[in-house]
Amino acid sequence: MTTRDSDERNAAVETESAPRADGATKVEAAPARRSSAPAWAAAGVAVVIVLGGLTRFLEQNVPDWAEGGPFERVAGAIEFPVYAIAIGLLGNLVLTRTGVRDKLSGGFRTEFFIKTGLVLLGASINLTVLATAAGPAILQGLLLITAVFSFSWWFGGKLGLDEKLRALLSAAVSICGVSAAIAAAGAVQAKREQLAYAASLVIVFALPSIFLLPWLAGVFGLSDVVAGAWIGGNIDTTAAVAASGAILGDDALQIATIVKTTQNALIGFVAVGLTAYFALKVERRPGSARPSIGDFWERFPKFVLGFIAASIIGTLWVKFVDDGKADISTINDLRTWFLIFAFVSIGLEFSAKGLRDAGWRPVVVFGSATVVNIVVALGLATVLFGNFELPQ
Amino acid sequence: MTDEPQRVDAARTTLLNEDWAAVVAGLILIAAVLLGVIPSGLVP
Repeated sequence: MTTRDSDERNAAVETESAPRADGATKVEAAPARRSSAPAWAAAGVAVVIVLGGLTRFLEQNVPDWAEGGPFERVAGAIEFPVYAIAIGLLGNLVLTRTGVRDKLSGGFRTEFFIKTGLVLLGASINLTVLATAAGPAILQGLLLITAVFSFSWWFGGKLGLDEKLRALLSAAVSICGVSAAIAAAGAVQAKREQLAYAASLVIVFALPSIFLLPWLAGVFGLSDVVAGAWIGGNIDTTAAVAASGAILGDDALQIATIVKTTQNALIGFVAVGLTAYFALKVERRPGSARPSIGDFWERFPKFVLGFIAASIIGTLWVKFVDDGKADISTINDLRTWFLIFAFVSIGLEFSAKGLRDAGWRPVVVFGSATVVNIVVALGLATVLFGNFELPQ
Repeated sequence: MTDEPQRVDAARTTLLNEDWAAVVAGLILIAAVLLGVIPSGLVP
């Protein structure tokens, strides 16, 4: 590995896992940290695994401990994402107090854990479900992204936000959270602080949504399928979608994942569109090349391919192998572990640090766009998935 | 001055690498379960 590779990886760890606004301090501290970064990242992964094990232990034992007591019903109703995020936040508090959280943050790989979990989830989704849900999911994704992105872009303009920050916030709130913000940041050449800010906003809004939307789905009396489609189209970041869907159960989780994965797949079009718009309209760079197929492919989230491949493998395995469902059940247990690691990482990564300097206007834009997203997604999910039935 | 675009690009590169890493890890785990390398009793 070259020094340049190493530098870029360290920079990426800092930017993606825990983006910060204090760039100067980070650059000065980098040489001392470079040699020990892999060891700290490995320790960070170990922290995630230990806290994940604690989550699994509590999830399996708390209902037994509470049996016959006043909290029996509550304890029985709490699903693993609640324990995982709460334990992650507690761990965050402890590690921040002891001053090692930032050093360990290279191991809090939320994106890797959630995407591996989603590939594993693909094995339990029948290809027929994937094929029949893809149509309404694509339509919902296209309409929702267009409506929410347009609103956020327009409202950000009204409030006088910087064009690049508008692009980041609009992509994050309308497509898939932090991943979309990173893709948009590359497309419009945004500042690191702007990316950090957008990523912080995504998490701040996603955390309450994880619990709020399943509760509202119950209040509105939504079916699992419609609730899943609503959650998948609504919550920004993929890990939070999986957490929220899992609270409602496996059917809602499947549909929420299909809808969110579809939105993830559409990110390439938005990123390429933003690149062209900023090159030709905003910065007016002469001779900018037209986007090619390669540009779309470069920005396409590749885990979607793994998700589809797993669905094909799982469907064929159950169809042609005796007792194939037992193997899929084991894969589901592994999937739960990776989702737990992702949810623990969400809690460990959470930081409101990036929000301090940016003022109230971006928060108002993001909050308003989230409300628009909730309302439009509810309408679309009800219309497009109202008659959808999962095979038994 | 060139530091910021490089850092954002690096974040994007890491994201794409994690995509492929997740695909490889997920499919290897699936293969390991289906081929019996990871028996059901091993996953708590």
